[in-house]
Amino acid sequence: MCEDIGRYLRSIGAEATMISDIREAPGQHHYTSTDARVFESVYGLSLEKMDDVCKYMMLNPRRYRENIQVPTILTPPYIKTREEKMVQAFFESCPFKAGISGIAGFGLGGALGLFTSSVNPSITGAELKSQTAREVLVEMRTAMLQYAKNFGMIGLMFAGVECCIESYRAKDDLRNGTYAGAVTGGLIGLRAGVKAGLLGGAGFAVFSAAIEYYMRS
Amino acid sequence: MAGSGVPGGLNEGQMKLMQDLEVEVMADLFNRMTAVCHRKCVPTKYRDSELSKGESVCLDRCVAKYLDVHERIGQKLTNISQAEQEQMKSMMAAQQATP
Repeated sequence: MCEDIGRYLRSIGAEATMISDIREAPGQHHYTSTDARVFESVYGLSLEKMDDVCKYMMLNPRRYRENIQVPTILTPPYIKTREEKMVQAFFESCPFKAGISGIAGFGLGGALGLFTSSVNPSITGAELKSQTAREVLVEMRTAMLQYAKNFGMIGLMFAGVECCIESYRAKDDLRNGTYAGAVTGGLIGLRAGVKAGLLGGAGFAVFSAAIEYYMRS
Repeated sequence: MAGSGVPGGLNEGQMKLMQDLEVEVMADLFNRMTAVCHRKCVPTKYRDSELSKGESVCLDRCVAKYLDVHERIGQKLTNISQAEQEQMKSMMAAQQATP
């Protein structure tokens, strides 16, 4: 430990060298009494005291630490308060992201269901003449809810899985979306059997890989 | 391993020297840590100015590991220097015993 301190002191211009050559292999340092006297005369501290102080500063967990020294550039360093960090962590957390995606999917699915039910109504044939406005609206509502639930579930699952995979891998590239698409497609297709699950997973993975590639280029 | 208590018998100048040293050590640690973790965790393709979730997670882990390594190596160095102190004491005692 004293050798590290010595190296720092030498790097800031201190002249005296107080220990034998640092390039020796560890375990071969022999401090002579002359070395110790030179050290004490230059730095005013014996080797033992230096070691005590080093130990106190580096290894004492009970020592009170003031504000951490951060090197400044042009502006003073802005260290976020605890509340700010909590809020930021909440808005970047996986459940929140998944929830937001689920809600967005819900809205999108509702819009798509409205459009689909208007161009592709399920009431056909003889009843077409005698349908009331109320029946049409009820039919639209059921179609909207159906689509909204499906899309909402897809969005929630995809975003949740992608966030978890990204947290696990600690990397930010397009494989996160691909793996998340594979998992989501697999889970959705699993309702219709294993083979459908595998096929759905592969298809959804390719689709999300294409989307990620387009969004990242 | 808890370190020793406040070292007694240090006057003003020596305390100031120690404080200066500590500021130097902490600043150096901070600079090295940011350089290493930035090189490891933040790829050079800058699509977005905000840190993504993967990068934030990577930085958290990098800092934790760096400080852990720093602490363990500090303890090892303490043990080594303690052993050498014992050796030096015994040598000096032997020198004085046989003038």
